[in-house]
Amino acid sequence: MDTIDARGQECPLPVVRAKKALDKIPSGTLEVLVDNETSVGNLQKLAKSLGCTSQREDREEGVFAVIIEKGEGAQEVAADSPDAFTPDEPNLSDAVVVISSETMGVGDDKLGKNLMKAFIFSLSQQDKLPKTVLFYNGGVHWTVEGSEALDDLHALADAGVEVMSCGTCLKYYDLESKLAVGEITNMYVIAEKQMTAGVVVRP
Amino acid sequence: MRTKTPHIVVTFASTDEAMAMEETAREQGIPGRMIPVPSDISAGCGLCWSVPVDDAESLTASLESAGLSYEGIHVVDLY
Repeated sequence: MDTIDARGQECPLPVVRAKKALDKIPSGTLEVLVDNETSVGNLQKLAKSLGCTSQREDREEGVFAVIIEKGEGAQEVAADSPDAFTPDEPNLSDAVVVISSETMGVGDDKLGKNLMKAFIFSLSQQDKLPKTVLFYNGGVHWTVEGSEALDDLHALADAGVEVMSCGTCLKYYDLESKLAVGEITNMYVIAEKQMTAGVVVRP
Repeated sequence: MRTKTPHIVVTFASTDEAMAMEETAREQGIPGRMIPVPSDISAGCGLCWSVPVDDAESLTASLESAGLSYEGIHVVDLY
């Protein structure tokens, strides 16, 4: 049984994380730990909307566990069914940011690195955050060990922003084992995220 | 939920002063980081040094002892 520890995280983050985990498996059990009632209720609604069963366990010190069982052939209910459930993500816009280089702009590379670092910081200061930040080619240097933008990227990821780095690029630069924030992704996802974005932002 | 918390922001009259701050901070382990100047403040240089208010005393003491030039000190809410 996998466990997601979402204590300290406010709705909708636990629900978003649970949905991602459940979408990845054909069947199985997922335990989600939360520390507030709102998330318990929403996790149970999520389970129902995905055709799963759920059980709640009140643990000590204000911790709750929601145990979700996904059976083979569990079907997500139709979007117009009363049981359908999509968590609001009021903090996220439908923008996708694409970072394809170590530098921002063309001219001086030292300035360019400082600009991109400042851009990533400024992104973390927006009231509405992008839904996804994609990193490829030179951009993967920002998501690996030693990057000066890691604190800001962690802050974005903690706030529910998808932070994704191209696997092929990480391998090419021999950085695969050094990924320090977010997930590894591939070109299909990179294409899909941009195609379905409300706006694509390329600093 | 992300919430903004108060930060001390030290502004500089020129990029040279800002760069000197960063170098000295690195050498002496002064807390804080360089960020673009928040829109609610105006300053000579577009980069400033920022630290959560809890580290304010440590920062101001270091500015004095290192003899660093700066333009102003502000308090701003940042994420």
